[in-house]
Amino acid sequence: MALASRQPVGAETLSAGGQGDSIVTVRDLTKRYGRTIAVDGISFDIHRGEIFGLLGPNGAGKTTTLEILEGIRVADKGDVRVDGLDIRRNRRAAQARIGVQLQATTLFEELTVRETLALFGSFYPRAISPDSLLADIALEEKARARPQDLSGGQRQRLALALALVNDPSLVFLDEPTTGLDPQSRRMLWDTILRLRERGKTVVLTTHFMDEAQSLADRIAILDAGRIIAQDTPAGLIGTLGAKATIEGVVEPGNVVSVDELRGLAAVAEARERGGGC
Amino acid sequence: MMQTVKSFGAMLRASLTMLRRNRLLVITSLGLALISIFVFGWLFGSDGSAQLRLGLVDEDHTSVSVQLTSQLRANDSLRLHTGSQSAEVAALRAGNRDAVLVITPGFGAGLASGQAPLQVYYNQSNPVTQAAARGAIQSIVANLNAGITGRPPVVRLSEQAVSVRSLRQIDWLTPGMLGQLVMWANLSVGIVLVQWRKQGILRRIAATPLRPSVLIGSQILARVLISVAQGAVLLAVAIIVFRVHIVGSWLALGLVVALGSLAMLSIGFVIGSFARSQEVSQTLNFLVSFPMMFLGGSYFPTTSAPAFLAPVIQAMPLTYLNDALRGIINNGAGLAAIQTDVLVLAAWMVVALIVSIRAFRWA
Ligand SMILES: Nc1ncnc2c1ncn2[C@@H]1O[C@H](COP(=O)(O)OP(=O)(O)OP(=O)(O)O)[C@@H](O)[C@H]1O
Ligand SMILES: [Mg+2]
Repeated sequence: MALASRQPVGAETLSAGGQGDSIVTVRDLTKRYGRTIAVDGISFDIHRGEIFGLLGPNGAGKTTTLEILEGIRVADKGDVRVDGLDIRRNRRAAQARIGVQLQATTLFEELTVRETLALFGSFYPRAISPDSLLADIALEEKARARPQDLSGGQRQRLALALALVNDPSLVFLDEPTTGLDPQSRRMLWDTILRLRERGKTVVLTTHFMDEAQSLADRIAILDAGRIIAQDTPAGLIGTLGAKATIEGVVEPGNVVSVDELRGLAAVAEARERGGGC
Repeated sequence: MMQTVKSFGAMLRASLTMLRRNRLLVITSLGLALISIFVFGWLFGSDGSAQLRLGLVDEDHTSVSVQLTSQLRANDSLRLHTGSQSAEVAALRAGNRDAVLVITPGFGAGLASGQAPLQVYYNQSNPVTQAAARGAIQSIVANLNAGITGRPPVVRLSEQAVSVRSLRQIDWLTPGMLGQLVMWANLSVGIVLVQWRKQGILRRIAATPLRPSVLIGSQILARVLISVAQGAVLLAVAIIVFRVHIVGSWLALGLVVALGSLAMLSIGFVIGSFARSQEVSQTLNFLVSFPMMFLGGSYFPTTSAPAFLAPVIQAMPLTYLNDALRGIINNGAGLAAIQTDVLVLAAWMVVALIVSIRAFRWA
């Protein structure tokens, strides 16, 4: 909550797209590698406080897009604003406000987990203490371990803790659940949902529709460097034509009304069929 | 600004921790240098060698030359032989003299006018005695020159100035091993840089507001501090175990070790900036350090190397580092006396730094 006070109120926010409360605006973003067009002129907004999912197959351009927003890669064309700041001209100022988990994170072999968290914290004007971060990700007993001695899931959690070390208002997570067992995956989902409760904006990439559906408020589907669809999970299911007719019997005393069903976002149409049986 | 200081401090502390925990680095720098000191110290013995055998040819026959002769004869660390030039040079060739000093005609007269020629022959076959003889003759000349500006009329050679400590193999080797240590400890920075880049550590850091200059600067300072500390350990062993005597100032020694480290680090960064893989960086590291190890004058002098190697030897920073360290440790040279070495090392540092900054990449 304290985060909200750090936002530069009204700092040259791009108003295109009509979204007054966008924390990220991307316009006409293009990036090529030789003949490959990794990102092909995409535009989108990310709203403050939402979880935004980038969904797409291998090589779709998810990582490229994310890393341009993070200031690690430089776009060939287009305009990117992060928290009102032009990512090319105010890279460091923008980077001080964001948290980043890369698709693969390797850390210094000779530093312990706690030392790593403290070191990365020192790069920012304000940092959360390593011990409270370790408590957050339930990794206290590994404080003195080296990163390479952690299990895959523990390493993912450490990478997430590193993304939170500066208490950022905007967090980028590149495939945060890849390589996790189902239980760890669920736990990480909870952690990500808690980030939103704490007022943070989360941008994540994933290969899985179910993950995007469970976590994201809005999803952009990326394919071959283009956004082929962009909507809420329910809206996407609608536009993608995944319609189903569900018939059921409403027990007497059960209070679901047809009007209530109509009010649900995912329900296109609800009808009552007369007759007792 | 405050933020930069804070990041630098944290990065410096982390770098020192990482270097301390990097066993391979400690083994391949301090470890190798210590092993060399012990092996050569015990192999070749570390007891004092015999007196320096100096042949003296007096062709001047003035009171000044006679006085010089008697003073040299009185010196305990010299065994003086006098004779004709041809006889003495022949004795030198036969290995019976370490050096021959010729007081040429007109020396006594020229001394007053500041033009007093002396001619010196060294025995080139034995590097250690050659170095000792050179040191002895140089101090004789230095003393003569000091005498001119002093009070007339005598040419005085103070006992101390000519009492050249007999230079043992281990005394000569110690500064060489110090130079070697500085090279080993710092050149490898390029391998680490490539490793960080390949593993994506640099990419992760690039996502933070940390400036590359803070990362590189802290790494440089950490390596210099580690090199000075390792050098201190090496010298402590040389002094305690082999009774090596450090003639010159510790401050000058520290400064030259730091400068040498900077020059080697800069070259390491050039390797790290150009090498695309860790294998390439390791190979480049070997290609740079091996010739220097053998031709840089660490283990044996290169004065008798074939002529075609001279340009290579004279281009290598380790040559100048070793020369400067020998000057300070063996002969008590001040910074003014080793200014050529200092300048060449500084030039290497500046050029290599410019090249590596131009070529630096995060990913
Ligand atoms: N550094 C690079 N050099 C050359 N081509 C690249 C580079 N980075 C990405 N590409 C290419 O750009 C395209 C998009 O890659 P990107 O990594 O953004 O995809 P992605 O959606 O993150 O895929 P994945 O799900 O496998 O992580 C791919 O065709 C890839 O080969
Ligand atoms: Mg990716």
